[in-house]
Amino acid sequence: MVVLSAARWVRSRLSDRFWRVQEVLKYARHFRGRKNRCYKLAVRSVRRAFVKSTKARREKKRSLRALWITRIGAASLEHGLKYPAFISNLLKSQVELNRKVLADLAIYEPKTFKSLAALAQRRRQEGFLAALGDGKEPEGIFSRIVHHH
Amino acid sequence: RYVRQLQRLQLLFSPTAADARGAREFVEEAAQDFARQHPDVVLYVSPRSGPGPAPVLRAEYLNGTVRDELIASKTSEEILQLATKLANQSGLDIIRIRKPFHTDNPSIQGQWHPLTNKPSILTVQGPRLQPQ
Repeated sequence: MVVLSAARWVRSRLSDRFWRVQEVLKYARHFRGRKNRCYKLAVRSVRRAFVKSTKARREKKRSLRALWITRIGAASLEHGLKYPAFISNLLKSQVELNRKVLADLAIYEPKTFKSLAALAQRRRQEGFLAALGDGKEPEGIFSRIVHHH
Repeated sequence: RYVRQLQRLQLLFSPTAADARGAREFVEEAAQDFARQHPDVVLYVSPRSGPGPAPVLRAEYLNGTVRDELIASKTSEEILQLATKLANQSGLDIIRIRKPFHTDNPSIQGQWHPLTNKPSILTVQGPRLQPQ
C-alpha cells in the first residue's frame, strides 16, 4: 500500500505560517475592530479593500472632475457668470484650459480668474450682438478665431 | 554636476556558506571592475566567519537610509546587476509619491479667501468718524 509516501507527507509541517499571516495583516493594521487583529476576518476585509481600491480608480477621475466643476461654477458666480456660460464662452474664445487648471487658478490666482471671467462675459455679449444685431455692426474683437496651420 | 547618492556598499557574507557562492564569485571576478567603474562608491568586503545570517549587500546613502538586499543563492551577474541598480538609486524611500509636483509658493496673487471678491468697504477700517 501507500505507507511510505503517507509517512513522508506527515513529516513536512508548515514553518513560516507567521510570515504568511503577517503578509495579509500588514494591510489591515489601520482597520477598525477585530479585523485588524484576527486573520480570518482580516482576509475578507483586505480582499474587499483591494477590490474597492481598484474600482475606485475609475470613480476618482469622475469625482475630481465634478469637484472642479463645482469650484469653477462657484468662482464664476462671484463674478456674475454661470458655469455653462463661462465654459462655453472660454472655449469660443479659443482659451483651452481644462477644469483642473481653472479650479487651481480660481483658488490660488483670483485676479487671473477674474480676468478670464471678464473675457468670457465680453465674448458672450459679442455673441448676443452677432446673433441679434443682424449684420450692420462690425464683428466682435474677441470673436475672431486664430487658425494654426 | 551629478553627485552619486550611494555612499558605501558593504558585502557581508560567510566564506564557507553554500548560499554565499555567488557573493564569493562576485568578489573574485567582478568586484574590482565595479569599484573602478564607480569611483565615488566605497566597496567594503567583510567576510564573517562561522555560521551566521544570510549573505547581504548593504547600501548606505547620503541621506542616511540603509538598504539591505539578500544575495543568497544568486549568481555573480545578478549581484552585479543589483549593485548597479543600488548605485543608480537615491536614498529616498520607495513608496508611492502622492503628487508628482510640489511648490512652496502655490499662490502668487494671494490665495482666495471669502473676502477677495467683495467690496473693500467690508475689510478696510478707516479712521473712526467722530459723532457730530
